[in-house]
Amino acid sequence: MVQGIHLTLMIGPAVPVPAPRMVVDALQSVEVTSGKDKSGFQLSFGVSKDSPLLTTLLPAGYFDPIATRVVVMVTLGGFPHVLMDGLVTRQELAPSSDPGQSVLTITGDDLSTAMDLIELALPYPNMSSTVQAYQILARYAGLGIVPIVIPPFIPEQPIMTKKIEAQNGTDLEHLKKIADDSGFVFYVEPGPLPGQSIAYLGPNIRIPVPQPALSINMDAHTNVESMSFQLDGLAKETLLVNVHDPITGRLPLVIPIPSVNIFQPPLGARPTPPLKTVMSHDTGGDSTEFTLKKMLGRMLKGAANAITVSGSLDVLRYGHVLRSKLMVGVRGAGLAYDGLYYVDSVTHKIKRGEFKQSFELSRDGLISLTPRVPT
Amino acid sequence: MANYDFPPGSRYHAVPVAMRVGEDGTVVPYLLRRFLPPLDGFVTLHEHTVVEGERPDLVAARELGDSEAFWRLCDANGAMHPDELTDTIGERVRITLPDGVPPPARE
Repeated sequence: MVQGIHLTLMIGPAVPVPAPRMVVDALQSVEVTSGKDKSGFQLSFGVSKDSPLLTTLLPAGYFDPIATRVVVMVTLGGFPHVLMDGLVTRQELAPSSDPGQSVLTITGDDLSTAMDLIELALPYPNMSSTVQAYQILARYAGLGIVPIVIPPFIPEQPIMTKKIEAQNGTDLEHLKKIADDSGFVFYVEPGPLPGQSIAYLGPNIRIPVPQPALSINMDAHTNVESMSFQLDGLAKETLLVNVHDPITGRLPLVIPIPSVNIFQPPLGARPTPPLKTVMSHDTGGDSTEFTLKKMLGRMLKGAANAITVSGSLDVLRYGHVLRSKLMVGVRGAGLAYDGLYYVDSVTHKIKRGEFKQSFELSRDGLISLTPRVPT
Repeated sequence: MANYDFPPGSRYHAVPVAMRVGEDGTVVPYLLRRFLPPLDGFVTLHEHTVVEGERPDLVAARELGDSEAFWRLCDANGAMHPDELTDTIGERVRITLPDGVPPPARE
């Protein structure tokens, strides 16, 4: 009931509708993983030999791959959270000789799967990457996907007589390539209401409003079951790029590119130094704009974060649903590891009377930059 | 358009900001009027009977688990002023799913 958590499961071909009672009754567990650029879900149903799921729904194509869309939504404190809007990709049936142990598992991915189905070879004459992205995403408006595309910082306008940009692969591959060229990210995020999604292509911005703090080892304020911190000293690297001097074109100039991101301000007061130095193996020949865009893209992407945290929490204890791609505060881990972190991925695990999450956080250095984290 | 001056749980989050230019050229931003959503968008889960000494935030804390969500109860019951929700003892307050969330299937 509403006191606590209310799960809404919607399944259907093309348009998802609330799942029938027999499907919800058979549902044993829901697992939704939302990561940096890809999300997935898994529904487990307990089935008997004459369960209507096996006798009617499955043969009739109720869980058919790609044709079936699944929306998983949780209402917590009167506030709707759409955890997943995706398409079925797999079915697994594990019949058991023991009564009540047969399990039907439905697995799927988010709506970007629909963009990864058909390989195309299409020219995009006179179109900048932003126009290309909008044109591709317009094909998926029927799925309720609203595009948000941020133009690259160094715009490049291809002219037909010089070169024609072309897509050679699936729509998703081309969108990822556009994002990669300017150091951007591309993902499809469900919400805010069922049936709606946002396709975002732009810089990986950290929204400065953090989520309520994760507290450990703080007696009554503890809201996390477990947390562990790792620091990898070899995660960061400095990239060296060779540029020939413009006058003679012979003398190589070495330019080091640090692993910093202007959209991801440092979260630690003592950043881990990059211990590794790597050379760029890209050969030249690109236009100046393209080379600049690539170097800026490298700076936008930053490098792998040195500190990673993994842990798990109970949503009823925490009182909120922890979301990925946002920031969160951490308390109770000591001077070095307290402070704000970026949430890389979250796995929601819902069973009857239980809603748990496991999470992965990351940060670039030790010691908090903020004197206190919002609770 | 989301309004980032208010947190996502606030009733003003989805209310757009407008600008008023005064005669001397000063610009005053203000929130547009927020209308109550139509009642047929809400799905009733059960009803709560008001007892003596109850306030909208107490009902919200008990039924929704969040006292700051009292305005969701007002929306679902068509109450313009929060006190209207609990001013009569024995009144029934609809506890609903959020606006636009479909009901659980019956069969």
